[in-house]
Amino acid sequence: MGRSTGIYVIIALLLAVLPFVYDDRIILSLVMQVFIFGIFAMSYDLLLGFTGIVSFGHAMFFGIGAYSVAIVLNQNEATLFYLLLGTLLAVAVAGIVSFIAGVLTLRLQSHFYAMLTLALAGLFMVAAEKMRSLTGGNEGFVLMVPDMFIDTSGPTLYLTCLIVLVVFFFLVRRFTQSPVGKVLMAIRENEQRVESIGFSIMYYKVIASMISGIVASIAGVLYVLSLQFVDTSVFATDVTLDALLMTIIGGVGTLVGPIIGAGIIEFAHHWLSDLADVHWIFKRWIILFGIVYILAVIFFPRGIVGTLQEIWIKRKYKKQQGKEATKDKNEAAS
Amino acid sequence: MMKALLELHDVQTYIDQYHILHDISFEVPKGEVTVLLGRNGAGKTTTLRTIMGLNPAAKGSVQYNSEDITKLSPYKIAKKGIGYVPEDQGIFEGLTVGENMRVAMKKENESTHERMEWVLDLFPDLKTFWKKPGGQLSGGQKQMLAIARAYMNENELLLIDEPSKGLAPIVVEKVMESIQQMKERTTIVLVEQNFLMASRIGDQFYILDDGQTVHQGAMEELQENETLRKKYLGIA
Amino acid sequence: MDLFFNLAINGLATGMLIFLLAAGLTIIFGLMDVLNFAHGGLFAWGAYSGVWIYDISGSFLVAILGAIVTGLLLGALTEWLIIKPVYGNHVQQILITLGFMLVLSEMLKVVFGPNQKSAAPPAYLDGSWQLGDVILIKYRIFIILVGALVYGITYFILKRTRIGLIVRAGVMNKEMVQSLGINIRLVFMLVFMVGSAMAALGGVLLAPYSGVIYAEMGMEFAILAFIVVVIGGMGSFTGSLLAAILVGMAQAFMAYYVSELSLAVNMLLMFAVLIFRPQGLFGGKGEAA
Repeated sequence: MGRSTGIYVIIALLLAVLPFVYDDRIILSLVMQVFIFGIFAMSYDLLLGFTGIVSFGHAMFFGIGAYSVAIVLNQNEATLFYLLLGTLLAVAVAGIVSFIAGVLTLRLQSHFYAMLTLALAGLFMVAAEKMRSLTGGNEGFVLMVPDMFIDTSGPTLYLTCLIVLVVFFFLVRRFTQSPVGKVLMAIRENEQRVESIGFSIMYYKVIASMISGIVASIAGVLYVLSLQFVDTSVFATDVTLDALLMTIIGGVGTLVGPIIGAGIIEFAHHWLSDLADVHWIFKRWIILFGIVYILAVIFFPRGIVGTLQEIWIKRKYKKQQGKEATKDKNEAAS
Repeated sequence: MMKALLELHDVQTYIDQYHILHDISFEVPKGEVTVLLGRNGAGKTTTLRTIMGLNPAAKGSVQYNSEDITKLSPYKIAKKGIGYVPEDQGIFEGLTVGENMRVAMKKENESTHERMEWVLDLFPDLKTFWKKPGGQLSGGQKQMLAIARAYMNENELLLIDEPSKGLAPIVVEKVMESIQQMKERTTIVLVEQNFLMASRIGDQFYILDDGQTVHQGAMEELQENETLRKKYLGIA
Repeated sequence: MDLFFNLAINGLATGMLIFLLAAGLTIIFGLMDVLNFAHGGLFAWGAYSGVWIYDISGSFLVAILGAIVTGLLLGALTEWLIIKPVYGNHVQQILITLGFMLVLSEMLKVVFGPNQKSAAPPAYLDGSWQLGDVILIKYRIFIILVGALVYGITYFILKRTRIGLIVRAGVMNKEMVQSLGINIRLVFMLVFMVGSAMAALGGVLLAPYSGVIYAEMGMEFAILAFIVVVIGGMGSFTGSLLAAILVGMAQAFMAYYVSELSLAVNMLLMFAVLIFRPQGLFGGKGEAA
C-alpha cells in the first residue's frame, strides 16, 4: 500500500464518520452530491485526462443511469431487487451506447466524438421528452425508492455513495495503472507512435469510452436515488459542462483532482444560489462558471492537483540535484 | 569580401521538448549556392524551417540583409524576400498549377510578369499543365512548380530542401540544371543528399552533424577530402 | 402533390437556415482545424440582436444588417479572445468553445431577458402566393432566395478572388501559405468573422420563420449543423449546402409524419455516413469550394 493510498483511506474513513458526528443535513446532502459528481467527473477524467478523448455528451450516460433506475422502480415495486435490476439496465444501455459512439467516431479526429456525443445527448433529451408514458415528459416524475434509501439525508444513502466512490476510485486507478491504462496514456501522448508499435488504438479507445460511460451511469443511478425525482435536465449540456469544469479545475488526468473539483463546484453552486437574493447576477452563475472554465482552460490547464504535482516534482528534482551536487563536491574533495 | 546575405549565429531550436539544433552557424554569400550536407537527422530540414520561422530559434540569431529576423513570423520572413521549397514541396494539390503560382504572386506588375515569364521559360512543363490540379502532377513537375512558385515573390534567397528526393535520375538532372540557371538570378541554400549533384552546382558547403555545423569549405575541397566525406556523409 | 410541394419548400427553407450555420462551421474547420462549438451561440445572438433592432427600427432590412454586424463583431471577439490563446491545441480549442457557447447563451438571457421573444415577418414578406393548387408562403421563399444568394456570393469569392484562392490554399496547406508571405492569422480572423456573420444571418432569418426565439435554440440548431457538416464532409462548402438541404428535407417530412423521429432520422443519416463514408458524402477535406 503506497503512501497516497493510505492518505485516501484515512480521508475516506473521516468522511464515513462525518454523518455520525455532524448533523447539518444540508451540508451532509451537499457532501453526498460531491460524492456522486465526484464519480461522474472521475469517469470524465478517464476519457479526457487518460485517453485524450473529448466527450460533450457525458450527461447522456448520467441521464441513462438516472432514467433506467427511475423507470424500473416506477414501473415495478420499489425494492432493492428492482434497484439492482435498474442499475444493471443502466450499465447495459450505457455500455451499448458508448460502444456505438466509440466505434463510429474514435477512429476519426477528436472533433467527431465530441460532436457525436453532443448530438446523441440531444437525442436522448428529445426521447425523454417525447416518451411521456414512461418518462413523464418535460416535468419528469417523482419515484419511490427502496425503504433503506427513503431518508435522502440519512447515513445509509450517504455511506452508499461514499463506498461506491471509494470503490470506483480504486478500481479506476487500478485500471489506469494496468497495461491497458498505460497504452491509453501512450495514445494520449502520441497516437501515431502507439499505432506504429502495432497496438490497435481503436480497441483501447473504445474500452476507455465504455468504462467511462458505465461509471458515469452509476453516478446517475445514485443521483436519482438522492433526489427521488427525475426530469430531462439530467441530459442537459450543463451537466456535461459540470463534469468538464470539475475535471479541469481539479486537474485533468489525476483522478483525485476531479473529485476535489466536484467538491469545489458543488459548494460554489450552493453558495452562489444563496447569493441570488443579494444580486440577480448570481442567478446566472453559469456565466461565472463558464468564464472560470474558459480562463482555466487557457491559463490553468493542469488544474489544482496537476499544478501541485508539478511543483512537487520540481522540488523533488531540485532536492535530488542538490544532493548530487553535494555528493560531487564531496567526491571532488576526497 | 561582401557582407553575407544570410547569417546564422549559434542557433538552437527545439521542437516540442526535443532539442534538435544545438549550435548552427553559417554564412550565405550573395549570388552563391550554399549546400547543407549531413546524414539523415542531422538537422538540415530543421535549419531551413528555423530560417523560415516555422520552427523559430530558441537561442542565437538569424540575420538577413543585416537585419535580425530570428523572431519574425514566417509570413514576415517570406515578405523580406526569402522563398521556401519544403521537402514535400508543399503543393496545393486541389489548386491548378496556375492557381498555385498565383497564391505566391502578391501583386501583379511588370517585375512579377517578367519573373513569371522567365520561370515559365525555364519550366515549360508548367505552362503546358497550367490548368491541371497540382495533385495530378508527376514528382518532377511538382518539384519544378514548387521552385518556380518560391521564386515568384521578388525573392532574393531560395531555401530548397532536397529537390532530388524520390525523383528518377533523368528528372534529377533536369531539376538540377534549372537550379543552376536560377543561380544566375538568386542566392540559394540547398539541402541535398545527392552529393554528386550538390558538388556540381554548389559553391561552398557546410556539414551538419547532430544539430551542429561541424565543417565548412569550398565545394572543391570536399571533393578532394575523402576522410571528411566518409566521416560525416558515409560516402567514399 | 401540393402537400409534397409544401413540405419540400418547408424543408428547403429549413435547410437554408441550417446551411447558413453549417457553412461557417465547415469553412472554419477546413481552414483552421477548429470545430467551433460556440457557433450556435452566434446564431442565437444574431436572432436576438436582429429581433431587438427590428422592434426598435421597425425595418426588417435594418434588422438583418444589424444581425450581420453583430455576427462580424462577435466573430472577431471569439477568434481573438477564445480561439487564438489556445491556437494549435485541438483539445483545448474544443473544450474552450463549448464553454464559450454556454457563456454566450447565458449572456443572451442577461442582456435580453430570460423569456422567449416573438417575431413576425414584415408586411411585404407576410402572406402567400397562390400558384394553381400550390400555396407559396412568401417568407419561406425569401429564406430560400437569401440562402441561395449567400451560397452564390461565397462560391464566387472562393473561386474567383484572391482572398478566396488564399482560403482554399490555406485549407490544403497552412504552413505553405505562410511561407509564401501571407499572414494566415489575418485570413483566419476574416474567415471567422464572415462565418459568424452567416450564422447570425441564419439566426435573424429564423426568428420570423419559427415565430419565437429562445436562448437554447442556438444549441438545437448547432446540433443539426454538426450533423450537416459530418454528412457534407468537414471543410466542404458545397457539401454543406447539399447536406443542409438533405437534413432540412428529412426534418420537414419527418416532422409532418412522425415528428418524434425527425432528429433521430438525421442522426441515423449521420451514423450511416460515419460508417460508410467518414470523409462525408460530398468530398472531404482538401476542396473548400
